[in-house]
Amino acid sequence: MRRLPLLAVASAATALVLAACSGSPAPDPSSPSDAASGGSTASDGTDAPTQAGGTLVYASGDAEPTCLDPHVGGNYPQALISTQYLEPLVGRAADGTTTPWLATDWTVSEDGLTWDFTLAERTFTDGTPFDAAAVKANIEHLQDPDTGSSTGYLAVEKVTEVEVVDDRHARFHLSEPDAALLESLAQQWTAMQSPTGLARGMEENCLAPAGTGPFVVTGWTPQQQVDLVANPDYVDATGEAAPPLLDGITWRFVPDAATRYAALVSGEVDVIDNPQPDTITAAEADASLGIEHIDNPRPGSVNRIELNSGQTPFDDIRVREAFIRSANPGPGIEALFSSTAVPSFSPLSSVEPVAVSREEQFTYDLDAANTLLDEAGWTERDADGYRTKDGARLSVRFPVSTNQSVPAEQALFQQIQANVKEAGFEVVLTPLDLGAWYAALGAHEYEAVSAPYTKVGPDVLRILYHSSGTEPAPSGYFANHAYVRDAELDALLDEASATQDAAQRADLLEQAQVRILEGYYILPLYDQQNHFLVRGVTGIDTSNPVATLSFQTASLTD
Amino acid sequence: MTTTPGPSRRALLRVAALAGRALLVVWVTATVVFLALRAAGGDPVEAVLGGPGSQAGPEAVAAARAQYGLDLPVWQQYLLQLWRVLTLDLGDSYARRTPVLDLVLSALGPTAALAVSALVLGWLLALGAAWLVSWARAVSGRLAPVGRAVVAVVRGWEVLASVLPHFWLGAVLVALFAVGLRWFPATSTPGSLAGLVLPTVTLAIPLAGFLGQLLGEGVGDAESRPFATTARARGAGPTRVFSRHTLRHAAIPTVALTGWAFGFLVSGAVVVETLFGRPGLGRLLVDSTLQRDVPVVMGAIVVIALVYVLLTVVTEAVEGLLDPRAATTGEDR
Amino acid sequence: MRARLLGVAGWAALAVVVLLLLAVAAPDLLAPGDPDATDVTASLHPPGWGHPLGTDELGRDVWTRVVHGARSSLGVGLVATTIGVAIALVLGLAAGLGPRWLSTVVARIVEILYAFPTLVLALLLVAVRGPGLAASVLAVGIATAPGYARILRARVRGVAVSGYVTAARLEGAGWWRRLTRHVLPNTLWPLVVVVTLGIGQAVVWVAGLGFLGLGALPPAAEWGAMLNAGRVYLTTAWWLSVGPGLAITVTAAALTVLGRALGRVSPS
Repeated sequence: MRRLPLLAVASAATALVLAACSGSPAPDPSSPSDAASGGSTASDGTDAPTQAGGTLVYASGDAEPTCLDPHVGGNYPQALISTQYLEPLVGRAADGTTTPWLATDWTVSEDGLTWDFTLAERTFTDGTPFDAAAVKANIEHLQDPDTGSSTGYLAVEKVTEVEVVDDRHARFHLSEPDAALLESLAQQWTAMQSPTGLARGMEENCLAPAGTGPFVVTGWTPQQQVDLVANPDYVDATGEAAPPLLDGITWRFVPDAATRYAALVSGEVDVIDNPQPDTITAAEADASLGIEHIDNPRPGSVNRIELNSGQTPFDDIRVREAFIRSANPGPGIEALFSSTAVPSFSPLSSVEPVAVSREEQFTYDLDAANTLLDEAGWTERDADGYRTKDGARLSVRFPVSTNQSVPAEQALFQQIQANVKEAGFEVVLTPLDLGAWYAALGAHEYEAVSAPYTKVGPDVLRILYHSSGTEPAPSGYFANHAYVRDAELDALLDEASATQDAAQRADLLEQAQVRILEGYYILPLYDQQNHFLVRGVTGIDTSNPVATLSFQTASLTD
Repeated sequence: MTTTPGPSRRALLRVAALAGRALLVVWVTATVVFLALRAAGGDPVEAVLGGPGSQAGPEAVAAARAQYGLDLPVWQQYLLQLWRVLTLDLGDSYARRTPVLDLVLSALGPTAALAVSALVLGWLLALGAAWLVSWARAVSGRLAPVGRAVVAVVRGWEVLASVLPHFWLGAVLVALFAVGLRWFPATSTPGSLAGLVLPTVTLAIPLAGFLGQLLGEGVGDAESRPFATTARARGAGPTRVFSRHTLRHAAIPTVALTGWAFGFLVSGAVVVETLFGRPGLGRLLVDSTLQRDVPVVMGAIVVIALVYVLLTVVTEAVEGLLDPRAATTGEDR
Repeated sequence: MRARLLGVAGWAALAVVVLLLLAVAAPDLLAPGDPDATDVTASLHPPGWGHPLGTDELGRDVWTRVVHGARSSLGVGLVATTIGVAIALVLGLAAGLGPRWLSTVVARIVEILYAFPTLVLALLLVAVRGPGLAASVLAVGIATAPGYARILRARVRGVAVSGYVTAARLEGAGWWRRLTRHVLPNTLWPLVVVVTLGIGQAVVWVAGLGFLGLGALPPAAEWGAMLNAGRVYLTTAWWLSVGPGLAITVTAAALTVLGRALGRVSPS
């Protein structure tokens, strides 16, 4: 009699499992059976049959935003998703010139303190018209302490007031000339939202901001996905009506890279970000997978190791140079990233037209490193082979943010650790979660660190290498991790920020970069990696100034 | 014994004792979480302002502090959090500005579904293995070596299963069944039964290994007891002996460990939910701890603690049913 | 008679454990190379001549790292289990031998510890103490203590009220004597089985922490960290997972089997 319940339960469980098995394999709500596509790769849009409609599924490995309004806080995941529903005032071409978007034209006064913007005629998806009053409301929202903006408000720091001249004309009054204003306004973190939407209050606006973008947020299931539908009334930057070809987007959050890639291969998702370098290589090598690779380096700074010149041992330029000369990251980058990351020798991203590259300063030269260290007084070695001076070991604390450094990058740091050991450096790598990492930085408990910084335009140099960057924000955070306090460099950066002459600005910034590189404050590694893998989608727009993808012109090919 | 209190009074005392236990657990866990997150470095106000490393200006910081009571002295903040927990108000998440209770409850469902499925599957696998061993042991004559081999294999599998790390097992299952055979999806969303399979199996296998070993010990022990040998002498077949007698006696220590199994499953859920991209308490805990989002961490852990206490009470009752001895001795556990 | 004592499986397990102890004490005997020696030109080579288990992404020999990693990995298991057993001993003995109210207090403490899932506790501890094996080990130790405590307390109770202990008390033996001569020897032996299981488990838990981004500091050749790093290359470089995976499994299995065999040999 006891046997029966046991058997019953067992058979019920088996039935359950079988039922789950017989259900549709690898369900993909966006596209019908991909057997019909005829084996064409997605990259060539002309051959692959595209279909109207359908829902694109995007799986993001970045942290889930805590608020869908990028004014609040302001990080890259917010930029990625808000690209679909918010638009900035201006755009940026590949050559660095500013292009019209929500603002069609602009002029600046001679003293650089007044900017006049002519605005396009648009309507927000909640019906509110886009006009100068809306622009004013947005800038005020960014500067309002209650908004808690961390990135956007810095961008409009010098704006004292936005004057509503008339519906189609807004006038920005600045406290100082700002050569980077247009670049700052090209970012998602200063994008335009409906003032009516903003007036709803943060709790509501965080859930579904109303913008002028090609899609509209309809729902957000925390930790799972954000649902977006197409905006049929969308008007693009040229003023043409251009409703998206897709019906909508499902924006999912899948933190694990291997799972994300598996989901792409099995067809559950159509686009993924932050793929591992070896999956990129595997995907490119196997055409039958039908996976396309998009490499869209982020603007602003390059991915580099900053050496803390504010304390021992890197307060001595010879020690800094010795570290850099013995690090030899090239072969490591080659082995760990294959062709997906190209070594950089510049402080700026390769997408910045004014980037200066000095390969000769970063050649591997162990002998030179040893000589420099001897000159600097680190002449003795202890039992483990590390150099010492006055009893202290040549030790470099290197906190690593596990949230921001992919495994391949962490392995690269280990390779550098092994390389510089030959010159006598001890590198202590400490993997930390984000909060602990920022705490360590804020407390100056590091000698080397790799901290990404995305910003549109070379003005990022001022943020990262001007001495004012060593002053901490209330949270303790400061951006100038290399602790560069060079009066001449400050003068160059200040002048570049004030001048309205583009050629002069470019020249000043080039000089600034040379100074930074010659100071051996940083070891450039590669561009801030921004890779995407795509399957069964064509027509993706990669031109957004912060290098996010826009699906306004995208369609499914499966 | 002197006067025994009446049944209703006894029940009331029981409930009061239970409430007392629950409150104690909640208080201690909430305090530990509060202290730990404070000691963990990083200012909680950063969670409000876009996460650690926020560049927000001084006015924004001041505004956020005032809004969330973070400018109060520490002991006041602690009491405020405690009060919130006790009244189940739980406050608002620092990072998301939505009520913590909503976040936690919406995460509880998927985790519960996963945990229950894994527990059931784990138990079934363990029971199946134990039955198999029992049958194999009872086999005699020419098939005896086969029986011994089966026992060895099952024992070996149990040991192996119990030491498989979740993150690794999950990765292998995804590689095999999601990418290779395409039977199940690699990512898991609530509401999708197919999506539940791989995460459940990932959690269930190590659990089955553990439960199987414990059950196996208990079964071995029970089968040498007089009641089992007597039953066999009376001609009862191995299955009958197993299910009617042996299992019951072996089940007691194993049921007692369901409480522990719950903790094991929640730990496993932390890894499995992150691995399969599935929303749930585990993932919520990890994300919130990393963001230093104190109210959410506290709310989630308190909920887990409460569920655990509830589970303990239930398992104790079940134990009492299974083994009258435990009930009458009145031992506190 | 002696050979029968442990059984075939038991002896095999003992041999494995001895090998492991050798790897801990003198790893250079088994793997003479440097576990941290990188060679990016030999990155991700499959098992072959010179590299029996292949190389990892930095060209380091997997076999050498597995052998040298025994020290930290096994050490992790041993220390965590020691912490857990030590806490459990205090709790269990207090509950089993002390007055009723103490038993209740201990039961409540155990309940609270149980209510904290292992990984959650570890997450909090690592957040507080910073990374590295120390916090992970401490967390796993504390988290596994209640399990040992429960077993101990029941056993201690049983022994404490048993005939020979009562006899000892009647003879006038003090509580220390009762403890050391009677209670401890009879309660600790069954713990051996559980402890051997626990050591393997501790290694696995710490590996789980590595998955969440916390755990051993690089370039440490800790098995869990290696397994986690190898997971990234699961489909492209499967050998990265085989080495540490086998090491963890074989270690835990051997310890369990040995524990069981020893348990059967228990002095009555």
